[in-house]
Formats: sequence, structure tokens, C-alpha cells
Amino acid sequence: MSHIQSQARPQPNQESPSFETITQPSIEIHQLSLILSDKTILHDVSLQIANTGITTLIGPSGAGKSSLLRCFNMLYDHWSGDIKINQQNIKQWQGGGDSLRQHIGLIAQKPSVFPASIYENVIFGLSRKQRKQNQDSWVEQCLIQAALWDEVKDRLQSPACTLSVGQQQRLCLARALALRPSILLLDEPTASLDPRSKQLIENVLQTLAKHIPMLCVTHDLEQAQRLQGEVIFMCDGKIIETGHSSDFFQNPNKLETREFLQWAVCECPSD
Amino acid sequence: MKIFLICLALPAFLLPAACLLYILWQAWPALSLELITGTVDAIEGQGLSFGSQQALWHQISGSLLMMLLACSLATPIALSIALFHALWASKRQKKMVLSLLQVLQSIPPIVYGLCGLVLLVHLLQWGISLAAGAVILSVIILPLLSSNIIHALERVPFEQSQAALSLGLSHMEMIVRVWLPSAWSGILTGILLAMARALSETAPILFTATVFSGIAWPESLFSPVTSLQTHIFYLAQEGSNAQATQTAWASAAVLLSLVLCLSLTAWFLRRYEESL
Repeated sequence: MSHIQSQARPQPNQESPSFETITQPSIEIHQLSLILSDKTILHDVSLQIANTGITTLIGPSGAGKSSLLRCFNMLYDHWSGDIKINQQNIKQWQGGGDSLRQHIGLIAQKPSVFPASIYENVIFGLSRKQRKQNQDSWVEQCLIQAALWDEVKDRLQSPACTLSVGQQQRLCLARALALRPSILLLDEPTASLDPRSKQLIENVLQTLAKHIPMLCVTHDLEQAQRLQGEVIFMCDGKIIETGHSSDFFQNPNKLETREFLQWAVCECPSD
Repeated sequence: MKIFLICLALPAFLLPAACLLYILWQAWPALSLELITGTVDAIEGQGLSFGSQQALWHQISGSLLMMLLACSLATPIALSIALFHALWASKRQKKMVLSLLQVLQSIPPIVYGLCGLVLLVHLLQWGISLAAGAVILSVIILPLLSSNIIHALERVPFEQSQAALSLGLSHMEMIVRVWLPSAWSGILTGILLAMARALSETAPILFTATVFSGIAWPESLFSPVTSLQTHIFYLAQEGSNAQATQTAWASAAVLLSLVLCLSLTAWFLRRYEESL
């Protein structure tokens, strides 16, 4: 049994819950192909994802970046090839897709809170078994990690929809963290946020990335540079080039990458 | 142009309002608490012709009983259809489901009544009964109810469903913990509108469920029942009897107020849902 599967599920009743106990898994994708409505979305994608830090996926719209994330947590399950976490193919994951998704957090572009209180939203993914004593300290810990605790500690029972969009996105992050994910998938997590909220989220992600590997889709090239991790450039469902952000943006090797970066600078100078 | 369009639209509002006022005007002399709470036996004891006199309590309860039974039968099926449509149906299957519901909705209720008479009353030998009426009414309201629940579920944001699934919730957990809490007011509105529809159907239950006299309260599901709708129909046939005609107007006013109550509650719920 892989380490991830044998590792304890979220234990809100543990004394002093900490994210630092999570062990970084190895993540590999081998010849991943996805066809949706007779259209090839991903074509023979193979890569290894760094087990610390934030790996950024960039590329034009329709390149297959978000689809790749959805293959990862089995929201798309009719792909071919292998996705392995600690050498285990996720298609053979014990407990199926629902169980797998508890290990793989997903933060979407648009924050989506449930019609419940802030507190209830944080523990929404926890099963009844997982909701035990010391739950309050676990909620506090998750909200602290998501840099939201100071803003909501006096109104945990208020409806989550009363929060600002930026706060809602951090609440979504806290909700994902409550499950102690082994990996975090981020699908343009700051696209709908103002600059201040964007900065806050980026800071939170960089802190968390020391303990949890992340795969982040972004159209914001400056953000990809700021996150200082591996960068993967995708186009037409294929991986064109990979490299560390420090080299990738200075010395792109492939013509397609150079063209995309030039185009992005010309078209979106503010990005 | 604007005035022309208003002139065209005006009858659509004025005619129903005029009908409503006329019914109330005709029913007013007969409307009293005694109209509802009087007993059949007491009236028959006075040697007056049954039906042209008061005592609508049994007709009202018969109508409500049939309506509730029909909704209890139709709601789980409609919910299942809506969940299939939302969760598992392909684009083609979704189109097929919606088209089928439209076709079922356009079938005249009297045809359903005839089918009920042949299949339930004669073939299954249920006889003229509460059960036969409730089943036929449930079939009639099923398309309306399904469409309303489908639309209520479609209003749940897609992102919420994705967020629930990405937290590892199963489809069933997502339905119970995300969809139903988000869509409950829309679903309830649909049920109330379907109840109003069931309460206003006459032809199908005329063949399958109701009798005019001799029944106060159905002894079992397979006993005949009296209803407000068919009561009005029978009384209206007694055109020469002024008492019968007046009771028919009064019964119509009571039926209208019941349907209006349901429709207004549905309207308020819809307003509440839109304000969220």
C-alpha cells in the first residue's frame, strides 16, 4: 500500500494538528491522453512533478491545462495512460475516485462556497467519523493556514456567502486543507481576485508549498515567475517545454515557447 | 405601438379578473361557514335533495386527499427523473427527456381519464376508487413536476457541484448536502404548482375516482370518493334548480381559493428564491 493510502486521514481530534507532518509524494504522469467529444484534449503527456514547491502550468486557452488537473483528481476518468502517486496508478486507487479526491485538493478559478456557515464550510469535506472532538482547533488551524482566521474568528457562524470574493477563495483553500491533501491542484486561483487578495493568496500558497506539492494553472506569467517553481508550457494538448522559472522566462529553448511569451508580453503587458 | 400592445395584452389580465369577480359575486349569497362544516346527514334528514344543499367538507377533503396522494406518488418519480437528467443523461438523452415531458404535458387530461378507466378501473379491477384517481392525477402532474424540479436543480451553480465532488463527496452526498439545500425552495414551488394542477383537474377523476352522493369519507384506497371539482360539474347540470346552481358557484369559489392559496404560496417561494 502506498504511503499516501496508509497515512492517516484528517484527524481533527489530534493534539496540535499540523500540516508539516504531511510527507511529500512522488507524482508522475506517463503518456496521458484525453479525448472529449471526438476532440483530442491531451496527447501523450508525460512529466514528473516536483514534490515540493509550486509547479506552474502555462499556455494558451484550450491547451489542455485545466483538463490535465481534472484528470488528476478523476473528475475526468476516461483518459488513457498512467498517473502515479508514489508509484500507484490512481485508476486503481483504493476506494475509487471519491477517496482519491479527498487526497487531492482542487481550488477552482471562481470561489464556490456552500450555503452554510464559515465554520461548516471548513469542515464540509470531513465525514462524520472525521468530525470529532477538537474539531474547533482543527478549523482554526486550517483558517490560520489560509490566512483567514483573523478576519473571521469572531463570526464563524455567519453565512459564508457574506465574505468577499478574496475571502471566499481563502475559505475554499481552508476547506481543501481541512482534508490534509497530499497534493493541491490550483486552477487559476487568483484570476477573479483584486491585486491585494491575489498577493495574499500567493503568499499563502508559497508558505504551504513547503509542505504540499502544488500544480497551478495560470495565465498570469508574472505570477508564474513570482511563484518561483517549475514551469510547464503546454500547447494543443502537448507539453512543449519545461524548466525552472528563473531560466524558463529568460532563455526559452523552443520556438513555440518564445512565440507564446512574446505574444503574451505584447497582448497582456499588465499580466 | 406601446398602446397597441397594451390593448392586446389587457384582455389577458381583465378576463381572468372578471371571471374571478363574477364567481365571487354569484357565490357570495351561499358563502358561509355552514357551507363547509354542515353535515350531509343533517341535510338529508331535512328531506332536501342531496347535493344542492350545503356541506362541502367531504368534497374538500376528498379533493385534498386525492391531491396529496397524487403528489406523494409523483414527487419521488419526478425527483428521480430530474436527478437522472442532471447527473447521468447524455446531451441527447437530456433532449429526449425534455421532449417526452412536453409531449406528456400536451396530452388532454380526458385521455388520461379514459386510459385510467380502461386500465385501472376495469382491467386491474380497482373500480371507481381513490387509488385510481390518485394514480391518474399523479401521471398528469408528473411532467409539470419533473420540469419544475429539473429547472430547480439547474439553478444550483455548476461550481458548487464541482467543489463538492472535488472534496471527495459521492454523488449521493452531493445531492443531499449541496443540491437539495440549494434547490429546496424551487422544488417546493414545483410541488405546490403541481398540487394546484391536481386540484383543478376534473375530467380524469370523473371517470376513475368520484361519485356524486352516498360517500362521506372513503373507507379504503379502493373506495370511491367525492370531490369538489366533480361536485361542481354535477351541480351545474342541475340548471333548473336555483339552489343547486348557487351551491355550484359557492363550491367554485372554495375551489378557486384553494388553488389560489397554493399558487400564491408558490409565487412567494419563488420570490424568496430569487432574492437569495
